[in-house]
Amino acid sequence: MSTPVLETENLVKVYGKGATRFDALKGLTFEIHEGESVAIVGKSGSGKSTLMHLLALLDEPTSGVVALGGEPVTALKPKKVSQLRNESFGFVFQQFFLNPNQTVLENITLPLKIAGMGKSERNRRGMEVLEQLDMADKAKNKATNLSGGQKQRACIARALVNRPAVLFADEPTGNLDTVTSEIVEDILFGLHRDHGITLVVVTHDEDLAAKCQRRLMMQDGEIVAEEHGATGVHA
Amino acid sequence: MRSVDVARTALGNTFRSKLRTALTVVAIVIGSFTLTLTSGLGAGVNKYVDTVVAGFGGSSQMFVMSTGASDAAPTDGPAEYDPEAAASSGGMFGPGSGGGVLTDSDIESIEEIDNVSAVDPMVFVSPDYLETPDGAQYAMELDVPANALGLELEAGEAPGEDGMELSIPAEWLTIFDTEDAEQVLGETVQIGISNVTGEQTAVEAEIVGVSEEALSGIGATPMPSRELNQELNDLSMEGYEGQAQNAYTMAVVDVDDLEANEQGIKDALTEQDLLGLTVEDQIGAVQGVIDAVSWVLSGFGLIALLAASFGIVNTLLMSVQERTREIGLMKAMGMSSGKVFGLFSMEAVVIGILGSIIGVVLGLGAGILGNAWLTGDGGPLGAVAGLTLFAVDPLAIAGIIALIVFIAFLAGTLPAARAAKKDPIEALRYE
Ligand SMILES: Nc1ncnc2c1ncn2[C@@H]1O[C@H](COP(=O)(O)OP(=O)(O)O)[C@@H](O)[C@H]1O
Ligand SMILES: [Mg+2]
Repeated sequence: MSTPVLETENLVKVYGKGATRFDALKGLTFEIHEGESVAIVGKSGSGKSTLMHLLALLDEPTSGVVALGGEPVTALKPKKVSQLRNESFGFVFQQFFLNPNQTVLENITLPLKIAGMGKSERNRRGMEVLEQLDMADKAKNKATNLSGGQKQRACIARALVNRPAVLFADEPTGNLDTVTSEIVEDILFGLHRDHGITLVVVTHDEDLAAKCQRRLMMQDGEIVAEEHGATGVHA
Repeated sequence: MRSVDVARTALGNTFRSKLRTALTVVAIVIGSFTLTLTSGLGAGVNKYVDTVVAGFGGSSQMFVMSTGASDAAPTDGPAEYDPEAAASSGGMFGPGSGGGVLTDSDIESIEEIDNVSAVDPMVFVSPDYLETPDGAQYAMELDVPANALGLELEAGEAPGEDGMELSIPAEWLTIFDTEDAEQVLGETVQIGISNVTGEQTAVEAEIVGVSEEALSGIGATPMPSRELNQELNDLSMEGYEGQAQNAYTMAVVDVDDLEANEQGIKDALTEQDLLGLTVEDQIGAVQGVIDAVSWVLSGFGLIALLAASFGIVNTLLMSVQERTREIGLMKAMGMSSGKVFGLFSMEAVVIGILGSIIGVVLGLGAGILGNAWLTGDGGPLGAVAGLTLFAVDPLAIAGIIALIVFIAFLAGTLPAARAAKKDPIEALRYE
């Protein structure tokens, strides 16, 4: 088997000290391979987001190792870690965090702007992704004038625009009605299926989790079970 | 993120909450307006003073007078009356208070000082009247020919070495019933003067120039040519029966390399109870006062800027607070803390540039219009020839803008550091 895109070893995260000490993650070891779709499932407060933040290099573990493409990242300088995030990851959050004053195109090309890409190249790549998500006609709209589903599609476009190795989604459908949730799920799994994108989805939505190839069940900071095989509809 | 993108984004963000930005900018505008105006005022008046100085034909000259009184030690009792010492006064380089006269031996000893290349003794004469061709007589005081270099002319030329010539001030045109300065050129007048015995004689002189009054006071009185001055002096000394000794009010001394030798010559003069003053000595005092005033005013401008910089801190702190999520998102997407700092500093700089440029433009406008109104024809200071109250000094303007932008940048560092420290996870936590 190839080197895993992401792997962890004995990952521990402790919040607070002394009386307020809280062990959010209690030593997790697992691998995520290229092209996989993995769901991190569990009740609220079980440590899903904490785990995702560590995987996505947004936070540092109390102890343990996260390795990206076989390279441990714990020792890297903050600036290098920022650059890795910019180049390797895409993020979709429960909330949209779109800048209401900017156009959809400006919003979704933000990662490229941060990467230091020129404006015309940025816009070209942005339009490409918007077309892929059937949002090209909304490119010049202000982000405020979009429906909820369109906003989340814009967020997905923003996550994809830098052609990431891994797409992280934290409760991507948490804020959407059932119909739009379906659409967004279809998009995410379509990308996974057609473009081989590695997908890491944090959710407590059983339906969404069921569509992933692998499910890590979390409870109180530990992975209590692991399921394989997409059980959901794979249209 | 590219620098252009940082700048462009910062510019866009600045205009996001327009009212808040506008209010912050106004505070900076006030400071920059004040600084522009005061520095322009200082530059304008100093420029005027400089042209007056330049009018004196360069700075290689020194004006030497007698300090006089120092001969008389306190125990000597009252000093003996000396009719020669009763020389007239007038003009900018008249003898100082208590000043005596220069004698031929003084002139000789000045000539012997090292680095003195030429000595030109001067006398003040006090004619009784000036008579126009139609017979009307007017009381007059004459300036000394040495001041001719500082003359601001409205028409004609300054009275020269030779020829019985003089210039008259523009105010005197009324005695010829004209307003056109050109018309009086070539007119001849009689100048009457009394000699030692009280007998009056008159000499004829031609008007060759019409002067305006300069800030130095030169040009406010008629000025004779050297020949006319000498002739009048000779007439006034007629009948004097004591030892015929020439007495001069002062001497104009040409110095080789004034800058290097100024102090040496002054010391040598002091030893002989003489006082040497350069043009700069006399005008430098004026400039010093102007500089002091413009510095005090600039101080107020700086205080305004200090207040304005707190406005920047406040505005940007609010902005950082409001945009916590946006900052978190940018950092999650891989924007380094350094770039976030750069972005917010840049917003402070944009505010600084905006405020300083608006303030400078307004200040220049007010200064130029105010100067035109005050010193223009019919303005309150219109009568002073060549007066400028406001000058545009590009270097000073650039300095003001640079200073304000720097202050804005400093003010922006606190909010920018706070933005750079934001933790993306904290910022993106949703409730
Ligand atoms: N910064 C923090 N400080 C203290 N406790 C935290 C912090 N972040 C998360 N926690 C705690 O860690 C636990 C796991 O949180 P989280 O990973 O957000 O859970 P989930 O995403 O599964 O709902 C929760 O009990 C939460 O209160
Ligand atoms: Mg969570």
